[in-house]
Amino acid sequence: MTRFRLPAWFALLLPAIIVLAAVVLIPLVLSLYSSFTSYRLTRPETLYNWIGTFNYEKAAKSAHFWSAFGRTVLLLTIALNLEMLLGLGLALLVNQVTYGQRALRTIMMFPMMFSPLLVGFQFKFIFNDNVGLVNNALQSIGFSNVAIPWLVDGQLAFFSILVAEMWSSTSVFAILILAGLFAVPRDPIEAAKVDGCTPWQSFRHITLPYIMPFIYIALAIRSLDVARAYDIVQIMTNGGPARRTELLWTLIGRTGYVDAKMGYANAMGYISIFLAIGFTIFFFRKLNAARAELGMGG
Amino acid sequence: MAQVNLRNVVKRFGPLQVVHGVDLDINDNEFVVLVGPSGCGKSTTLRMIAGLEAISEGEIAIGDRVVNDLPPRHRNISMVFQNYALYPHMSVRENLGFSLEIAKKPKAEIDKAVDEAAEILSLTDYMDRKPGALSGGQRQRVAMGRAIVRHPDVFLFDEPLSNLDAKLRTQMRTEIKKLHQKVNSTIVYVTHDQVEAMTLADRIVIMRDGYIEQVGTPLEVFEAPANTFVATFIGSPPMNLLTGRVAADMISLEGGLKVAVPDQYRANVSEGQDVVLGFRADNLMPVGHAMPMEGAFAELEMTVNLSEPLGTETLLFTSIADKEIQAKMLNPRPVASGEKLSFQLDLTRCHLFDAETQNSLRSN
Amino acid sequence: MDENLQHRLRARTVKYLQLFALFIAMAIICIPGLWVVLNSFRPTVEIMAKPPVWIPQNLSLDHYRAMFGGVGEGGVPVMRYFTNSLIISVTSTIIAILVGMAGGYAFARYRFRGKAAIFIGLMLTRAVPGVSLSLPLFIVMAKTGLIDTHIGLILVYVALNVPFTIWLIDGFFRQIPAELAEAAEIDGCTRWQAFWKVEFPVARAGVASAGIFAFLTSWNEYALASQLTRSTFSKTMPVGLRDFTSEFTINWGGMCALAVLMIIPALILTFLVQKHLIAGLTFGGVKG
Repeated sequence: MTRFRLPAWFALLLPAIIVLAAVVLIPLVLSLYSSFTSYRLTRPETLYNWIGTFNYEKAAKSAHFWSAFGRTVLLLTIALNLEMLLGLGLALLVNQVTYGQRALRTIMMFPMMFSPLLVGFQFKFIFNDNVGLVNNALQSIGFSNVAIPWLVDGQLAFFSILVAEMWSSTSVFAILILAGLFAVPRDPIEAAKVDGCTPWQSFRHITLPYIMPFIYIALAIRSLDVARAYDIVQIMTNGGPARRTELLWTLIGRTGYVDAKMGYANAMGYISIFLAIGFTIFFFRKLNAARAELGMGG
Repeated sequence: MAQVNLRNVVKRFGPLQVVHGVDLDINDNEFVVLVGPSGCGKSTTLRMIAGLEAISEGEIAIGDRVVNDLPPRHRNISMVFQNYALYPHMSVRENLGFSLEIAKKPKAEIDKAVDEAAEILSLTDYMDRKPGALSGGQRQRVAMGRAIVRHPDVFLFDEPLSNLDAKLRTQMRTEIKKLHQKVNSTIVYVTHDQVEAMTLADRIVIMRDGYIEQVGTPLEVFEAPANTFVATFIGSPPMNLLTGRVAADMISLEGGLKVAVPDQYRANVSEGQDVVLGFRADNLMPVGHAMPMEGAFAELEMTVNLSEPLGTETLLFTSIADKEIQAKMLNPRPVASGEKLSFQLDLTRCHLFDAETQNSLRSN
Repeated sequence: MDENLQHRLRARTVKYLQLFALFIAMAIICIPGLWVVLNSFRPTVEIMAKPPVWIPQNLSLDHYRAMFGGVGEGGVPVMRYFTNSLIISVTSTIIAILVGMAGGYAFARYRFRGKAAIFIGLMLTRAVPGVSLSLPLFIVMAKTGLIDTHIGLILVYVALNVPFTIWLIDGFFRQIPAELAEAAEIDGCTRWQAFWKVEFPVARAGVASAGIFAFLTSWNEYALASQLTRSTFSKTMPVGLRDFTSEFTINWGGMCALAVLMIIPALILTFLVQKHLIAGLTFGGVKG
């Protein structure tokens, strides 16, 4: 009666592993393979046409790819940093309030409920040059009498997308950092005050080290999820007009579905995956370092 | 010069008033202990002196300077917190030097002050550890070291020993006393432990429900409690209290007992007045057990319910009219429960309080 | 006295500046959403008016009526999309919670080799951008005939939600002392009973918040759904929103109405669990 039995932990993890293997792992292996072929959706037989690293070389040489890549990294860097700073500021402000703080926290969660797609649509409406809230307002107060082409001009469109992205995600930072602020023990802050710190100094030397892990958690969660920006961009400009707001993800989507060049799109997809994983690992490392600093241990 | 003066200081949290017009003058170099049960407003008062809590009314001055609206950093104080409040991400050395670092003192001066403090508190071996790697007593010493490096005008202690075990507490108590002699500064110390208050203080401030009940030296508050609250709060075991009525220079107590009105109170009581008679266990002893030779005594016959031998003395629990009364016996011998003994009450050491106001009827 | 006055004034100024900043921030958070809600009640003429009409003249339910009428403007079958979204989100959430609970329990209660590596591996699957995943998934789904079906999308959303669910639930189980289950086992429970009768009820709040997170993710997801659904049979609401955009014109009012319909369930659910949500996120992360 010595029947082999799976260890309990493995049996418990098995469903998760199976689902993730089926939906994520297998397709990723397939896409890795197809990225070395000239696979086109319209011609299934091309799946067996091995062309080596041609797609990667093509991407490496493509100006479109690099400008989309650069723009993506730029957008992420600016957005994550600004969101972090604004979220920190917002959390500190809300933390000061004693009366009605619950209501403020609830309002703060508002953007989190919005689907990124909805955020995109909402800001597409708001930044619409003809009927949008922003232009209407600017024209009504006489700030400008022409319709500003928010979503048509390359730089303005980039700005508009940034605003939308920040609107949707700043509160994630604010809420996590606020949770961090709640967890900061009161005594060391008071000790710092008595030790002669100005409010800024006690923030810098005491509060900040305490909330650093929370900031990195927020960054890590966000970087797991950066591709949310795809939905926003897709609906606001879809990378256009004329590729002026093209991000890696919109470029991949268009190459794969519109141009049907699946092999090439998958090659670029892999690059975007490594980009995202890179960001995530970076922030998790930082998180562990910040925890060790506070003696929390992993 | 760093005296601390509180004038009619009031603290309200919303509609709730927790400190009711406290007046207190603390002299330069004096060690003052605020003591009282939890929720009596002692910590709030300390935090108002520190500037961590805004005052709702009144005036606080530190060394001739009114500090009502000044943030803590402008008050030249330092504070030791109940939970030590060490900075977890800094080493012991960094913790000690932090305030001087903030004040942009030259490096050499910081090092000197830090080493000096470490020396006084014997922390030299742990300078590069982080607080997480220290024991409770060591953390406590770091917290004190952090307070002394600044040479502040006033030291504030907020229940600094309550997180330590009994043995360490006694040890640190001695160290704090020594520290005061060494650094010679004004100290305001908050505790709920009356033993700490008695052993440390130059003067004790006893608080209850946001009012000061009595201010005095440890001996004064022990020997001459201003009211029944102080009488029961200070001293261990707490003072025995019995209610009674004055009739013809005698007090008829609950349970039908009668004792003479102690001489020192005779002038202050009137016929028919309701009073509370207070006496400590030390002044109620079985006949023949080390009472002073002269004095005025009342004799009481009582049954011992329980005895607690403490070594050099034995605590006896008896009762009068269902009220528990504690007595003491020196040169111990076994006492059986239910044994009837004859006790002597030393009337010269008795206290008399007005039953209505609960205030002492002592004349002075 | 001067010194005191100065500090009092400064403290007061800082306080008012803070309140002002807070007010601005809250306005920025609220206005876009409120504008969408407002416009869902305004007739298209008024939305398009030049110069703009600031104070709404006539509010109506026309857009909602058209939307639920099924035909109306552009004939977008909104109710169909709503049902699709509901079926897909609810089913995938339930499965994700079951799978995630098993996984979270394994991480919280068992020690095994390579635990950290497996954990990070699971989390990283979440880092794969939707578009990058949608290409190969599209091929696989097309081959297996799962494209444009409820089951296909449900499966995808389960996979999408499992890592995060495991993370949250792991955090919650870890807060429950192991002694609790051990006590139950000594009292005569099997491990299985100990879990359902003792640990699960204590962690229920955490499980609920993980569930709502999963539901919101599925409810709001667009990148994958837009490629894996083709017809009204399986299109979800986010994908349906695009139906209001034709080549040259956009039916703003109709879109706003659909947006409101989309946001209401999310709104209600988030309010229900907001407390646990924060607790879950931070416990999972910090105590890690």
